[in-house]
Parts: sequence; C-alpha cells; structure tokens
Amino acid sequence: MTSTRILARRRLGASGATAHVTAQPRRRRRTRGLVQVAGTVAAERLRLNVFGHAYVGVGAVVIALLFYLALAAQITQASYDLSRLQDQQRQLIAEQDQLRYQEVTMHAPAQVQQQAAQSGMQRIVPSSYVAGSQVAIDLTTPLGASPADTTPLWIRAVATVVNAVGGTRDVMAATKK
Amino acid sequence: MLVVAAILAGMVWSRLAYWQVAQHGRLAMQAQAQYRELVQLPAVRGAIFDRNLTQLVVNTTVYSAFVSPDQVAAADRDRVASGLASVLGVDKANVMTTLASTSKFAYIQRRFVKTKADQLRALKLPGVGLQEETQRSYLPGIAPGSTLAANLLGFVDWNGDGKYGVEQKYQQALGGTPGFISSYRDLANREIVLGTHTHQDPINGQDLVLSLDANIQYAAEQALADGVKRDNAESGSVLIMDPATGGVVAWADYPSYNANDFNHTDPALFKDNVVGSVYEPGSVMKVVTLSGAINAGAIAPETVINDPGVLSVGGYRIYDWDRRNHGNVDYTYVLAHSLNVGAMKAMLAEGHPAFYSNLQAFGLTKPSGIDVADENCLLPPAADKMSDSQYATASFGQGIDVNMVQMLAAVNVIANGGKYPPPHVVERVGTHINPVLLQPQRQAITPETAAKMTAMMEQVVQHGSGWTSRIKGFELDQAGKTGTSQIPVNGQYTQDVWASFVGFLPAQHPKFTMLVVIRKPHYPGSDRDWTLNDGYMTAEPIWKTIAQSIVVDWHITPDPR
Repeated sequence: MTSTRILARRRLGASGATAHVTAQPRRRRRTRGLVQVAGTVAAERLRLNVFGHAYVGVGAVVIALLFYLALAAQITQASYDLSRLQDQQRQLIAEQDQLRYQEVTMHAPAQVQQQAAQSGMQRIVPSSYVAGSQVAIDLTTPLGASPADTTPLWIRAVATVVNAVGGTRDVMAATKK
Repeated sequence: MLVVAAILAGMVWSRLAYWQVAQHGRLAMQAQAQYRELVQLPAVRGAIFDRNLTQLVVNTTVYSAFVSPDQVAAADRDRVASGLASVLGVDKANVMTTLASTSKFAYIQRRFVKTKADQLRALKLPGVGLQEETQRSYLPGIAPGSTLAANLLGFVDWNGDGKYGVEQKYQQALGGTPGFISSYRDLANREIVLGTHTHQDPINGQDLVLSLDANIQYAAEQALADGVKRDNAESGSVLIMDPATGGVVAWADYPSYNANDFNHTDPALFKDNVVGSVYEPGSVMKVVTLSGAINAGAIAPETVINDPGVLSVGGYRIYDWDRRNHGNVDYTYVLAHSLNVGAMKAMLAEGHPAFYSNLQAFGLTKPSGIDVADENCLLPPAADKMSDSQYATASFGQGIDVNMVQMLAAVNVIANGGKYPPPHVVERVGTHINPVLLQPQRQAITPETAAKMTAMMEQVVQHGSGWTSRIKGFELDQAGKTGTSQIPVNGQYTQDVWASFVGFLPAQHPKFTMLVVIRKPHYPGSDRDWTLNDGYMTAEPIWKTIAQSIVVDWHITPDPR
C-alpha cells in the first residue's frame, strides 16, 4: 500500500534533498503500526519488487483460504458428530421411556395381582374388626411432678464419672426413665 | 440498429426486473426451502398420576417404517421386502408391490416398538426410513387388551390431541406449547448444527394429579366386570367419590376398551356412561326427596302416613313397586322399603316450589361441572312447566334424568353434613391446586337433616332393601339405598331396567360414597320374577365387593358405638 511510496521518499531524502524537505510545510506526525513498521523493515531487507509483493500477497490469501477450508471442514465434522449424538440421545430417551413404562407397569395393580396370584397369595376379607374406642386426652391437664429417680446413688455416681471420662451421653440416656 | 439493440436490451432488462423484483419473494422462499428447515419441537405431554402418585400414563417413543421406492434399485427390492417382512411381519408380496410402484413415499407399518426399529436399523436397508413418534401408553386393565380407567382418562390420537375424558378436558395443560428450530441442511440433507439457526424451546405440558386411587379403580373394574357378566347385563358403571371433597376415587365402565389400541376399537365403546349418558335414578331419588321434605320441616323420619299402595296424581294412578297396601307407616319405613306413595306424599307435603328448590340445592337441575370432557345431562323443565304427574314421578326418580356424577354428588350432600362438595377428578395441575378445592362448599341442607337422612339410610341396610350390601363388621355402620327404574324406549317404559345402589360407610364419618348402576340386567330367573333384576340382586353385590376392597386398602374400621 504506502510502503513503496515511503521507500521512494526515503531514497529521495537519502540523495541530498534536505533543503526541499525542510521547505515543506510542517505535517502532523503519523503513527505507524507495528505491522506496518515490521513490513517496511522486512521489505527493506528483502528488497522486494512489485511482483514479489504480489507473490507474497497471493501466498497469504492462499494460506488464509486453506486455513478457512480446514476450519470449515472441522466445523462440518463437528456438526455431523453433534447430529449423530443427537440421534443417539433420541434413541436413549426412547429406551428410557420404554423402561419407565415397564417399571410403571410392574407396579400396576393388574401386574401386582397377577404376581400375587402366581405366588399363591389370596386377599382375605376380615371377618371382624376391632372397633376403635374414643380416648379423651385433656391437653390442659397439669403435667404433675416428675417421677422419682430410683436409681441407687452409687450407680449415679459411677455413671457421672464414666460420662465425664468417656464423654458419652449414652449411659445417661439409658439410665434416665 | 440502435433501436433494435435498445429494444432487445430493454426486453432483457425487463425480464431481469421481473425475476428480481416481481418474483423476488417467491424465488427467495423456494431457495430457502432448499437449504433452510423449520422443525417443530414437540412439547412433552404431561403425565397423569393417581392420588398415591402412581403414574397412570407414560409417554413412549414408537416408530413408523416407510420406504422411498424410487431409491430402491430393482436388484435390491427382494432383499428390502424380505427384511421388512421378517422384522415387521408384513406381507412380503405387498411390500414388493409398493417397491415396484412409482410412488415417492409409502408407510410400511406404523407405531411399532423400539426393539423392532433397532432390528430394522441394523439391516441397513436402502430406501427404508424410520420415523419417530410419541405415543401415550396406559396401564394394563383387568383383562389383556384393556387399560385401566380408559373411560375416565380417554386417549391421545395420532395428532397429539386428547380425546374423551381427562385427556380431552385438560388438553391445553397437558399438551404444552411446541417449540421450533430453524436450521440449515447440506446437500445430503444433513443438518448443519453449527450453522446459523433460531431455536425456541418447547414448553412441556403440566402433570396432573388425580383424586383417583389406582388400586380401588382396579378393584372396581374387576368387580363390575364380574357382576355385569353374572347379571347378563348390557353394561354397568361404578362411581366412587370422597364425600368430603367431591374427588373421584374410581370411575369404571364395563365394557370398556384398550386406550393403547384405540385405532382398532369400536368407537361406540369410547362413550363413557358415567357422565356421558343419563338415566332415571329410580328410588335413589327418594333420598333427595325425603331430605328436602325433612329440611323444609314438612315431614320427619318418624312422621306416620297411610300408604294404600296407590295414589292418584294428575289423572294418573301411581303404584308402589309391590302394589300392596302398607297401611300406616313412618318415613323411615318408607325409605327402607322404597315406597313410591310415601315419596309422593312427602313431595306434596313440601309443595312443588320447595321440591324444585330442593332439586336445585342438590345440583340436579344443572350440569355437575365435573372436569371430564363431554358431560351429558338432560335438565328438568322449569318449575312452572312441570305437570303434577311429572312432580309425582320425579319424587321417586322416574321421568327425571340425571347422570351418575350428578346423582352421587347429590348423595355426597348427605354424607358430608349437608354441604355440596363440587365433583372433580383433578386435584393438582402442575404445582397448582384445583381451584374448586379452595372454594367454600355450599350448604345445601342443614347438618341435622343430613344426620337424620343418614340414620334412615342405615335402616335401609339393616332392615330394608340394602341387606345384600352388608359388610362384615359394618352391619350397623353403613348407609345405602337401592334404585330400580324402567328404561323408556320411544316414550314407552319397557321391562328393561336400570338397577342401582348408592351407599357410604362408615355411616357417621364416611370415607367414601359409591354408586353402582347396571343397565338392562337379566338375572337368572328374572323372566319369572322381574324383581330379581332389582338393585338389591344386581348392583348391591358389586357394591359390596368393591366396598370390601376399599375397607381393606384404606384400613377403615367401624365407628365406636
């Protein structure tokens, strides 16, 4: 793009046209990008002519094209893999549904009764029932005094020591009534 | 020359303009159709559970096999036909005929199970394809080839639309909203998953939890089938409800059908007799008539009337079922022995307007509103349009048509302390409770009237026509009423009857109410004695068998005395 013109200007500058350069109006300094600088440096070193530049350009385009094709092929392959996996997933879901139906059917009353009959089990109708009796529970009744602890004193003392040493509450739970 | 060139250029230009401007839309669509594909993503239909969360319906994937005859080379036809015939069991000659035809697409067999599809896939037959479809699979019923609660649940047709029963009523909630995916296809018609595509997820259908109990349903279907066969009846139905909520516990019809094979079923069997047809309830209606009269203060259970066995009303002489003079009897006796004259006198004591209001209070003048598709009801005429004889016959359940849901919901009023619980099947839709359960129940009659009628119905079981329904241990704690009514054909009553029995237990704290209706029973010996077709011989034994199962399953014990 601008690199050949820049090179030409620099060649002109190098041949002693300093006064002409100083006579030019002052221009804003343009910042050049890294790629531009690197390209300029490479071109200076390689000293490529116009055909060389075209050759490099075409080469870059071909490389980009090949890269794109490789990427597209990979994407297509991944796409087919996904499609295949989706198909597999559908089949697994179908299998899961089938298994669910089998499971539900096994618990169905018809199946349960059939299996019970095959096992020789029979449903017997109860001939009598124990009628429930009504029990009145008065929740407002005072609780009253706690029952006296009849555990001998020495057992309680031993339990206290054991609890303290063993660090367990099981003994207390077992002795408390 | 220049003019000719200009004309030719103009023609070319105008032709181009025609294709690029006028036909742009159509051509763009045609081009898009070649590489773009819009696939509908079906929503998963909601499951249906019973009250114990037993799944009653499962979605399963089934497969349909098709062929593209133009893609099967002549040399491969025999191999393809043999493969299809061996796996699917279809006629090889028919397949060969299809393959030799010029059609582009033909189904070989539809809706078979995955194992067959896997076998077919393994054969890698050219020109043969498999199409996945979703199917509803229902639990097995009492006999091979029947499904549980088929008449209540209905089924889902091949288009995914619910037909009959709960499936139809709750189509919107169960069906959900389908999504779609718009993607690209390559030359081999394979989806380019990573290409630009639009994706809208489907909204799956909601699950339903019913008040049904699968175990009781099974017991009811079994007892009903046995009973209908024993009674040589045309058909029969059982409806069981929870009187406290109005929730349906069991809903059985016999004969029924196989919902898994609906496309090979006689469509006449799809009709549900519980809510889809009406019947004349007969003496079961006396429960409503006497309750209304007691509630209005016109009579009391101990009120004594004279029953000569016949009463003239509106120019008609209407008899008791036995045409006997019963003398002086009280209303408890009237109900226990199902006397028509007593019912008519109660209605007359109450008055026509009060009687009609009572029918309204018990929900017999409007549809029950139950959440099952295709409720059928034949509403009585307006109060001022009914003749005296119509009032008279309606008081004992003839000349008035109800469906079973209406009738049992009316009896629920007695069992539920005088409140009318709205009948329903679905308790929850997704996570939402059925709104009818949250509404306060309407007080139809006073609790005192309900208690008096319960006591009278207990006497029916202990001393009247309900004796064949007695369950061991509950003899003193169950309530019931028989009903028998002649079936009219072309305006004339025939000798065929609807025989029914309604009852509940424990009488004071009922756990369930149950109505059994048998249509056109021909009980052995009934050609000599027609009363053998009565409810006490036909419907009651079925009621008893089912009630025993409920008592065992629900651990019901008699109330303390």
